[in-house]
Amino acid sequence: MNQRKGLVLILLVLVAMFSWSVGSITLAQSDMNVALIIAQGGLGDRSYNDLAFAGLTLAAQEFGVRVVPIESSDPVGEGEQLLRTAAEAGFDLVITLEFSHFDPIVVVANDYPDTLFAIVNVDFVSADNLVNIMFDEHTGSYLAGMLSAFVTTDASLEQTNDEAIIGAIGGVKSSGIDVFLYGYLQGACDVNPDTQLLLAYSNGFGDPATGRELTISMNEQGADVVFQVAGGTGEGIIDAAADGGFFAVGVDSDQDYLAPGSVLTSMLKRVDVAVYDTIARAVAGEAIGGTVLQYGLDIDGVGISEMAFTRHIIPREYIDQVHAAREAIIAGELHVIDTRTVDADTFALIDENPTCEGVAALREAVGME
Amino acid sequence: MEALELLTNLLASTLRLATPLLLTAMACLLSYQVGLINIAVEGLMLSGCFIAVVAGAQIGYAWGGVLLACIVGAAMGALFALFVTTLRADLIVTGLAMNFFVLGTTAYLLQILFGVYGSYTPGDLKSLPIWRIPVLSEIPFLGKAFFQHPPLIYVSWLAIPLTAILLYRTRAGLHIRAVGVNEEAARTAGISVTRIRYLALTLGGLLCGLGGAHLAVGELALFRENMTGGRGFIGLAAVYFAAGRPFLAALACLLFGFFEALQFRLQTTVSIPYQFFQMLPYLMVVIMMVLISVRENLRRGRGGI
Repeated sequence: MNQRKGLVLILLVLVAMFSWSVGSITLAQSDMNVALIIAQGGLGDRSYNDLAFAGLTLAAQEFGVRVVPIESSDPVGEGEQLLRTAAEAGFDLVITLEFSHFDPIVVVANDYPDTLFAIVNVDFVSADNLVNIMFDEHTGSYLAGMLSAFVTTDASLEQTNDEAIIGAIGGVKSSGIDVFLYGYLQGACDVNPDTQLLLAYSNGFGDPATGRELTISMNEQGADVVFQVAGGTGEGIIDAAADGGFFAVGVDSDQDYLAPGSVLTSMLKRVDVAVYDTIARAVAGEAIGGTVLQYGLDIDGVGISEMAFTRHIIPREYIDQVHAAREAIIAGELHVIDTRTVDADTFALIDENPTCEGVAALREAVGME
Repeated sequence: MEALELLTNLLASTLRLATPLLLTAMACLLSYQVGLINIAVEGLMLSGCFIAVVAGAQIGYAWGGVLLACIVGAAMGALFALFVTTLRADLIVTGLAMNFFVLGTTAYLLQILFGVYGSYTPGDLKSLPIWRIPVLSEIPFLGKAFFQHPPLIYVSWLAIPLTAILLYRTRAGLHIRAVGVNEEAARTAGISVTRIRYLALTLGGLLCGLGGAHLAVGELALFRENMTGGRGFIGLAAVYFAAGRPFLAALACLLFGFFEALQFRLQTTVSIPYQFFQMLPYLMVVIMMVLISVRENLRRGRGGI
């Protein structure tokens, strides 16, 4: 036991040395050791990884757990090695932010049954000591879609024309991106069934010039609100909206500050909330192993931004209706379809016809009114 | 009327998308003509993007960034020349190494200098202003399509005839082509092959820096890791399609820009899987270039293909 503690100490020192600017934070309430494996992009990305680290830091302050972020220059290639090293070093909870670890994490979890593992953005791997962490991106996007449909026809706003046309740009076509896009569409159609969505893919997450040009072409076709689900490409989308005097909608983190007044709102995916909550449950001794933790609107796992720069120009009634919809979703009165969970034939109904008629067909197929 | 407006927008979009390609194509053309493949084009261009944004933000004017991007691009081009001519390093290996070096260094410098990862958006940096050409920009439709653009777009148009003049109407151009056709013969004729190659690669570096600057501050005002996204290689491919002829290479770039602009618009109007449209620019350039060379071969009586 002493030897194991010594090993943990050595590892703590080593990790602290190699991950400059990051130390371990300790308080004496819980003696749990938590490792957070940082995904591609690394700490300092002002987005996903940094947000998760904020949740980790908060948990350390609140519960006194010992926390260590583990960075690697190649988190994808070294997946199994990273997980195994963390388990070997005696961490009680190992959370990985790297999606591609879904394969090795099962192997390692089986080898270390006394360690609890957690993986973010994955809901399909299982072991008794493995937690899957998922987000309801569709509900957060739904709220952003509602707001977009409200403002796109509002003549009192100088940013929008009177046509009910909005746009959305995905980085690549995948079920993980489409869940945002079709959640957004559902929200827009519930506000105005005549809403037309222009949908395109930029074929990459790091090309702002393409994002800008795609957005300009959408604006020329009448779209005055464009939802970006394209990572770094999205910076070009926001730039085009700021230049052209119309709206963009940010994603993942609060991007409203990138172009104050031109980003209508941002669809938030709060990985900090998820990391914090997972640690809280583990500290409380909840048996979360083998389950899927779904983070939705209820505990602000997803949602829309505070709209710090646009709140005062958007009519109050729109924001109130969006808040009402949020409450209805939480209460279970309003159902937003998660397109990841429907079968291929049902998915094709909306995927081949991304319009409000497609939404209606999708709802009929899953047995909704 | 509406069709005309669509066409106008399409043309304007084509020209915006083709600009970085045109500039890098002319750079690659110069190295093609001295018998070297400019594999380093992506790295040269990306360093232009980085310098344009960083220097532009420091100086406070995007134009300052553009100027420095040209200087650094030219210096990098000269460095490339140093490796491949004076030090006789392998062209492909050196070119690839430079690309990876710039890719890694710019990403690293973002963290060291600004503490950011992936993107750097200096708040106070404005992109280059739109230049409305007097009188011409007032022409209905044509004005919007051709004469209301950021300045480097016009520069890219000028770069094409200037490259052609340099190559075919000047002494230096004659030497450049002589070196490319037969290095030994050129040397025997008293041409300094090394000096000519330095000249071509340095000028090429300058053009790449300019292309990168357009991408970073011409319309946007930000740097994103690997934001060139293969545009340099498309410029390089255009040169080989055109077998080193400036106007044909420019045509290939414009074609690519046109079909890219078209596919953006088709994605939102026609419901066919979007991957098909994204393939279009590449496919169409190949088809057009094959047709052009077939026609040329027929005219010269060498059979179809």
